[in-house]
Amino acid sequence: MKELNEVIRLVVLEKRDIVLSVVFGFLAGMSAVGLFASSGYLISKAALMPPLYALTVLIAFLKLFGFARALGRYAERYFSHRATFTILSNLRLSFYKKLEPHAPRVFQKYRSGDLLSRIVGDVESLQNFFLRVYYPPVVLVIIFLGTIVFTSIFSIGVATVLLVGLVLTGLLIPAWYTVKQRKLGNKVRHARGNLSTEATEFLYGFRDLKIYQQLDAKQENLQHAADAYLEEQEKDSMQMLSSHSWNTFVTLLVSWVVTGVGALLVAEGDLNGLFLAMLVMVSLTVFENAVPMAVLPSHLQDSKLASERLFSIVDGEGEDKGTLLLERGNAPEIVLSQVHYRFPGETRDVLKDVTITIPSGSKTAIVGASGSGKSTLLQLLMKFQTPVMGEVTVNGYDIQHVTEESVWQHSNVVLQENHYFYGTIRENLQLASDDSSEEEMISALEEVGLSFKLDQPVLEKGENLSGGEKQRLSIARAFLKGERLWLLDEPASSVDALNEKEIYKHLYERAKDDTLVLISHRLSGLERMDQIVVMDDGSVVEQGSYDELMKRQGYFYEMKQIENNIFS
Amino acid sequence: MKHLSRLAFSHRKMIMLLIFTSVLIGATIIGQSYFFVAIVDRIFLDEQSFREILPLLVGLLLVLAGRTLFTWLNGRTGVKLASKAKRHYRQSIIKKFSRNPVQTSLQGQSGRKVSVLMDAVDEVDGYFSSYVPQMIQTMIIPVMILIVVFTQHIYSGLIMIITAPFIPLFMAIIGVMTKKKSEDQMEKMNAFSGKFLDTLQGLTTLKLFGRSKQQQKEIETSSLGFRDATMEVLKVAFVSSLMLEFISMLSIGIIALEIAIRLVVFESVSFFTAFFILILAPEFYLTLKDFGSAFHTGRGSSGAANQLSGELEKEEEGFGWGEAKLGREKPPLIQLKDMSFRYEKGFSMENLQATILPRSQVAIVGKSGAGKSTLLHLFAGLMKPDSGEIFINDRPLFDYQQREWFSQLSYISQNPYIFSGTIADNIAIGDEKPYTRNDIKKAAEKAGIAALMESLEQGYDTPVGEGGRGLSGGEKQRLAIARTFLKRPSVILFDEPTTGLDLKTEHILQRSIEELSRFATIITVAHRLHTIKNADQILFLDNGELKGQGTHEDLLETVEDYRAMVSAQQGGDTT
Repeated sequence: MKELNEVIRLVVLEKRDIVLSVVFGFLAGMSAVGLFASSGYLISKAALMPPLYALTVLIAFLKLFGFARALGRYAERYFSHRATFTILSNLRLSFYKKLEPHAPRVFQKYRSGDLLSRIVGDVESLQNFFLRVYYPPVVLVIIFLGTIVFTSIFSIGVATVLLVGLVLTGLLIPAWYTVKQRKLGNKVRHARGNLSTEATEFLYGFRDLKIYQQLDAKQENLQHAADAYLEEQEKDSMQMLSSHSWNTFVTLLVSWVVTGVGALLVAEGDLNGLFLAMLVMVSLTVFENAVPMAVLPSHLQDSKLASERLFSIVDGEGEDKGTLLLERGNAPEIVLSQVHYRFPGETRDVLKDVTITIPSGSKTAIVGASGSGKSTLLQLLMKFQTPVMGEVTVNGYDIQHVTEESVWQHSNVVLQENHYFYGTIRENLQLASDDSSEEEMISALEEVGLSFKLDQPVLEKGENLSGGEKQRLSIARAFLKGERLWLLDEPASSVDALNEKEIYKHLYERAKDDTLVLISHRLSGLERMDQIVVMDDGSVVEQGSYDELMKRQGYFYEMKQIENNIFS
Repeated sequence: MKHLSRLAFSHRKMIMLLIFTSVLIGATIIGQSYFFVAIVDRIFLDEQSFREILPLLVGLLLVLAGRTLFTWLNGRTGVKLASKAKRHYRQSIIKKFSRNPVQTSLQGQSGRKVSVLMDAVDEVDGYFSSYVPQMIQTMIIPVMILIVVFTQHIYSGLIMIITAPFIPLFMAIIGVMTKKKSEDQMEKMNAFSGKFLDTLQGLTTLKLFGRSKQQQKEIETSSLGFRDATMEVLKVAFVSSLMLEFISMLSIGIIALEIAIRLVVFESVSFFTAFFILILAPEFYLTLKDFGSAFHTGRGSSGAANQLSGELEKEEEGFGWGEAKLGREKPPLIQLKDMSFRYEKGFSMENLQATILPRSQVAIVGKSGAGKSTLLHLFAGLMKPDSGEIFINDRPLFDYQQREWFSQLSYISQNPYIFSGTIADNIAIGDEKPYTRNDIKKAAEKAGIAALMESLEQGYDTPVGEGGRGLSGGEKQRLAIARTFLKRPSVILFDEPTTGLDLKTEHILQRSIEELSRFATIITVAHRLHTIKNADQILFLDNGELKGQGTHEDLLETVEDYRAMVSAQQGGDTT
């Protein structure tokens, strides 16, 4: 259960709602028992022809229990669901607090982009933990104890039988199925992942599969994966069903024993026959509360797996060890010396022996084909990654000793993918700085060629903006931040050439005395850079100003020739 | 929904089994009540001895075991029915996908299609595993109980008949109310629940701007907002079950009252009858209530069902291939004769004529949207012309066997697909000929990836693709070239990359095309001037129209638009 410690801690925080749902759950359960007990008693009493007023009182009781049960059930549901959603909120918050210090470093560990939606899904599946795993046994036990105490007034024997029934349906059978469920493990999940991969390959690789005549074989694989997934799902459903059936059977069996024991006691004269019908009804009713126990094992297993996955994401992640703060107000100097980098778990270096000096206030362009290591280089400068070998220094300090926050605080960053939040243009710009004036924001937008109103809405992830608009908005955001180190990763790749020129003009004005590092795929417009660093396959192959490189007629020159040759 | 029920009822055996087990469940419910009542009656009123009721106890045990068994069997049938239905849907969808013409996979619909195959199919599960069995039970069991009650005491039966319709009626009224309420809340709920994902996705941006700590408050506010909006909807649902509870309780109360009065005042019913009805009544209302929850599950499947039938009903015509063989001695003569092709909306290509000689190099040139890729797909036989034909050695392309044509063809796209498997698998993909490791190595050398292989720990056995190592754009191109060297096709279709690759790949591409052109016809969607200049023939496309054919020099002289395009490109690089 230690996987769930953290979750349990968060559940227990919601004391008030938990206590209320347990109280009302108990009330509803006991009223149901009372309702059926009194109806059993009523009918027996009626058979003995009592005075009419005795019946009237009993019927009044019956109604009372009936209403109490229905209302109790309503209140129980209300409070338990409210607790569940509050717990969901606590879970999100607690997970966010855990993840936040490690972002964005931790994201690099997972290449697939679905990490985030998986996190969201796992957190959401944990909301079931309270409702389906934690809460039902508690209510079950309390109701049973109440019922057993009540029953023992009439017959210790029957009370004992009920107690055995509680142990069986509330403990032994769920425990048995929990073990079995663990054996089934997450095969369903695995088979599902497999099918999804096969389907993705089939559809995305369709053209190549068709031409290479692999379509039939692949189709067969896909069908197999679909069948395997189905089989696992079926096994899972059958397991659930059989858990349910055994639970019901034991429940009925206990009522049978209660009937038998009751009948025996009455026949022997140890129990008044008036109460037999009542006891049978009590037994049939009280086990209604054991029904949720049938689904408990599978929810327990799901919760465990989800919790394990969630909290293992940040396991083994080191904290940022930097303590130094960068000084505000001067343009930093950055030096990379003999830097090597490789992604965790990979064998090949993506950066090999990279040495670059970026003087304070200089403008540097990093160019190269896709996959040459340009973006990884920028990530080292942003301290998203630390080199495997070699050193990155900022103003003479090893970047490892500088805090991440301080690096980010003092740089204007535009990444290839930038996030925009649901809200307005103004809110998205204000991320950069709270004290930008209206005029500053408008002029930043003008400089990047956007004619947005500040109150214009932005949808989630900026869905209502085009690629070029998003990039320009990011640049405007960087303009407003106004720090003295610029780190730009293909900031204008989706902007047309004319606008790009205009934006760069303003960029150079604003960054006149600042240190600027620009990653660019396009080779045009690099004439005014102080130095151009050419990367190929993780290494620096050339370095120099535009004129120098063109004169040298080396790698850069040839790339430039090819670019000139390309029709697009 | 109709589609689903037709499918469910086409499995006659399973439906019969469901009906059969439902009848048995009904019988055991009645039997169980009978035995409980009989035992109490004999012991309590008749004061029989324990021994005398023993047969009744045995009977009760059997009935209880039977009830469990039949319920299990009923549930099992539901699960099996759901599996069958899901299998049927997946199979039909996969079949559909395999007839899928190339354009849909290029139109970026693949993600949506994966989700139809995975999620939409899973969502219909509830309809078959829960809704159908419960519906059958509801049609059978209450009726059985009613009949038994009528034989015992006609007035209780009448009360049941009168009160029962209130349950579905209230369910319907409440259903309408919740629907409205949840629609009102839906927008709020979506906005709140999306906030967490939105924040996680924007975490990098937030950190860079030093705003990530403040976001905690936002997460909490939106999560609690989500809670309150959800509770609004749930409250209505809870009130609805409260109402149902009241109705069934009220009905049971009326029945109990009526029986008690008859029992005491008129002495017109026996204890046995009274107790029997009192135990049966809750079972009657319970089955009706259960149907309510199953109904919601069933309705939840209807959205998915619509998605599925939408996907399956879209008729995409597959096209047939013929039986003719195609010789391999030398590359074929390819001709376009009056070929036309139209997309559903807008774009069309009319009456294209061209002749492509064996071992010639052809460049397809034009602005983006001119129809270059479409033409390449038509050449490949991945799409079928609407009228006119492509002739291969003087016979229509689709007269040949599909495998005869594809085994002579290579297609190198801008972003070659890498399958999950080893690098060697990926190079040797798709040829029936067994290749030796040596053949693969030779091809890899020619394509300039041999050095890369040596740098990898597992060499040619390095897993790539999904779950394996990532390859850069240049590496993928070279891998596709290696595939081509290994296959040695007689026709190569090449979609030249629109952006510059690393120099090594650029050189290898140029050199490889030269080498390959010695034994194959190469048709390239060209983006590089040297490819265009080297071509024996250029097909210049403009908005689907073939505006010019000939060599670079010919076209410069004769076609105004071509000249304009070339000079615009060359003027564009003065920066």
